[in-house]
Amino acid sequence: MAAAFTRGAPQPGGAEMTVPLLVARDIAKAFGGTQALKGVSLDIAPGEIHGLVGANGAGKSTFIRILAGLNHPDAGRIELDGRRQEIGTPQRATELGMSFIHQELAFVPGMTVLQNIMLGVPKKTRFGLTDWRAIARDVAPIAGRVGISAPLNASVKGLSTAEIWLINICRALVRKARLIVMDEPTASLAAGEAERLFAIVRDLSASGVSVLYISHRLDEILNLCTRVSVFRDGRSVAELAGDALHRPALVEAIVGGAIRDTQRTATARARGGVVLEAKNLTRVPKVRGVSLELHAGEVLGIGGLVGAGRTELARLLFGADRPDSGEMALMGRPYTPSSPAAAVQVGLGLVPEERRAEALFLSKSIAFNLSIANLDRVAFGRYLPLMNRRARTSMAGEMIRALSIKARNASTPVGRLSGGNQQKVAIGRWLQRIPKVLILDEPTRGVDIGARTEIHRLIRQQAEAGMAVLVISSEPDELPELCDRVLVMAEGRIVRELTGLAMSRKAIVEASYVEP
Amino acid sequence: MSDVAISARRLSPGTKAALGIFARYGTIIGLLAMIVTFSILSPAAFPTVGNFTNVLNQASLAMIIAGGLTLAVVVGELDLSIGFAASLHGILITGFVVHDKLPIPLGVVIVIALGAVIGLVNGFIVTKIKVNSVIATLGVGTILTGLAFAYSAGVPIVAGVPEAFLQLSLGRWLFGIPNNIIVMILVLGGLWVLVERTPLGQEIQAVGGNAVAARLAGVNVDRIKILGFVISGMCAALTGILLASRLGSGTASAADSYLLTAFAAVFLGSATLRDGEFHVLGTLVGALIIAFGFNGLNIFGAPTFSQYVLQGAILIIAVGMASLGRSLAER
Repeated sequence: MAAAFTRGAPQPGGAEMTVPLLVARDIAKAFGGTQALKGVSLDIAPGEIHGLVGANGAGKSTFIRILAGLNHPDAGRIELDGRRQEIGTPQRATELGMSFIHQELAFVPGMTVLQNIMLGVPKKTRFGLTDWRAIARDVAPIAGRVGISAPLNASVKGLSTAEIWLINICRALVRKARLIVMDEPTASLAAGEAERLFAIVRDLSASGVSVLYISHRLDEILNLCTRVSVFRDGRSVAELAGDALHRPALVEAIVGGAIRDTQRTATARARGGVVLEAKNLTRVPKVRGVSLELHAGEVLGIGGLVGAGRTELARLLFGADRPDSGEMALMGRPYTPSSPAAAVQVGLGLVPEERRAEALFLSKSIAFNLSIANLDRVAFGRYLPLMNRRARTSMAGEMIRALSIKARNASTPVGRLSGGNQQKVAIGRWLQRIPKVLILDEPTRGVDIGARTEIHRLIRQQAEAGMAVLVISSEPDELPELCDRVLVMAEGRIVRELTGLAMSRKAIVEASYVEP
Repeated sequence: MSDVAISARRLSPGTKAALGIFARYGTIIGLLAMIVTFSILSPAAFPTVGNFTNVLNQASLAMIIAGGLTLAVVVGELDLSIGFAASLHGILITGFVVHDKLPIPLGVVIVIALGAVIGLVNGFIVTKIKVNSVIATLGVGTILTGLAFAYSAGVPIVAGVPEAFLQLSLGRWLFGIPNNIIVMILVLGGLWVLVERTPLGQEIQAVGGNAVAARLAGVNVDRIKILGFVISGMCAALTGILLASRLGSGTASAADSYLLTAFAAVFLGSATLRDGEFHVLGTLVGALIIAFGFNGLNIFGAPTFSQYVLQGAILIIAVGMASLGRSLAER
């Protein structure tokens, strides 16, 4: 693993001599009135790990959907092994040797590891029945190669995200994929699991399988990829390789010149008194005896691996789950929230991890989504329980301006916004209330660099105005950048407190692996 | 639904836009087309004030029970007990008035309160015991049918129904508008205001839209779901009362068939104006389509079986259109 963070070995000499596995030229695609792709080009050599980066809305997803045969390009051409191909259907994409591993991993919880690996794959039969024994014999070496440790006949129930990811890789290999497209593969993995994934990606590459690697995490891209294509506003704006491939160049290509400073300036600020306190908070198996103090005016980060119990801790603090034991106090008084509604009443807010599933009403308007936690503010009055629609629209308008949410107006459905703007709506919902405590779980996941900077600034602003803010993040860079203090959780316990200069990416990652 | 979603993606933008318009306005276009067709085919009998009033009057009971069901489906649950409940309520109100000689207003209040209690029981079983609403309300509905037979001993209560009770549904009020229509307008109007124009209605829509997100936004999801069942139960009671008054008797299983009519209206309504979302105005349009469809069949002397065929077909077409609307709205 020591070598995992060193730059991958250069591709076997003469990649330019061989025919590229995949060539895409001037691909364009419009949806209704919006031109999602205006002309992107890209080619991938056999065995190459090719990076693809770009802000949200740059056209990466549309491009992948076209490769996968889910959308038809309006213009442009795609070649595989030098032959022009109309992909047309997902089945055809598979026949051509392409496999796609999406952010939301495809698996069926009730099935075994082997059944999941063979999902949608034509199976050997014997006397007309599926011959699972023969299939297992064929699959076992491949499973071993990608490092699936669970037995093939075990249920996938209880397997980690990383192991499910390996199952998806294994499925791609069983299908004899020559190009595997990975969309944000590490988004739901923690640092250690991610490194295991990188090793597998390099191994795939060495055995001649090409990988198209899409990520917002530039460090990963720099570590893994020999060449990187950058999309911006539906065009391919740069292809970086060799000496030209470094972080500033990538950032500049993604943002388009207007690079914003993400470094914090003010750090030495006096924090206020304790707002929220937890003592020996426990809910087995995920949270075991957590004690913490959250002060007014501070941004407290919680780092650690995915599965360390951070989200579960947030849910306890917010009343979404009840603790088995332990105590909480809010402003010095005992605090035992029976539901999120009760927590909201006394001044808490939570921006959950999965914004589309847990925070937003996608088909409803921005105004609806912003006002749902502020309904007392949009009623005409206590005795006239009708909604003041004008008040709601103006409240939403204020929020849209204050957070610079990019949308036509307050009645735009939230589902049509980009990830970053959706996240701003999820945060903005609480800001109207001016909560005493705001908990943000992965506030910048899947958000582009520009929006990430704005969200960070917003979080700092709230803290400076006196709010107590708790931020959970799996991105090791994010917490030192954003927080005044960081607690690291491992296996349900808080294992370290880091402050000042001690807060570093390295310290957080190291502490995450401490045996509790 | 996913099959529709996949096939919708392959369509050209023009076809998609046309389909989108069809999915949103198809029900309203269909309603108007039906009225125009019947008017041309039967100019003497169909397009008259008398016939339209009659159709509305007939349809009012279905609209009230469908309005209540709309609230249950808006919060994301199904209520299969409404037809059986309405039958029981019809027997109870007749029994209260005929046997117990209760004043009619008191009887009405008690029965509607019982409707609320049944809704409360449904809501409690679904939210607290966490039984799937299809199973819970089917079970409760079956129990209610049993209670209806127990109360009436299987014999309809026919004799001695006072004239004043019959007048509940047969009477006319303002400008000679039948009471049923007035009650229906008040109920549906009230439900529309509740869902679309009150903060509570926002919570109702939030729970139906995404119950997990609603809970984490501080909405008391269980309370809102129970409210949906309670309103559904109260509307079923009102329909049961008006039906007993119209029939002049309390009969076990008299209102059972309203279940299917209400579902057809509600799902047809979800394909109206909004992409596959349930709403009160849509339910009204859905109920009108069914009412005018039946009326037309009657005028042309179509056999009874065709009404069942029509209703079943409408239900399937409605759900199909709603899911088409949803998949088109995704893009």
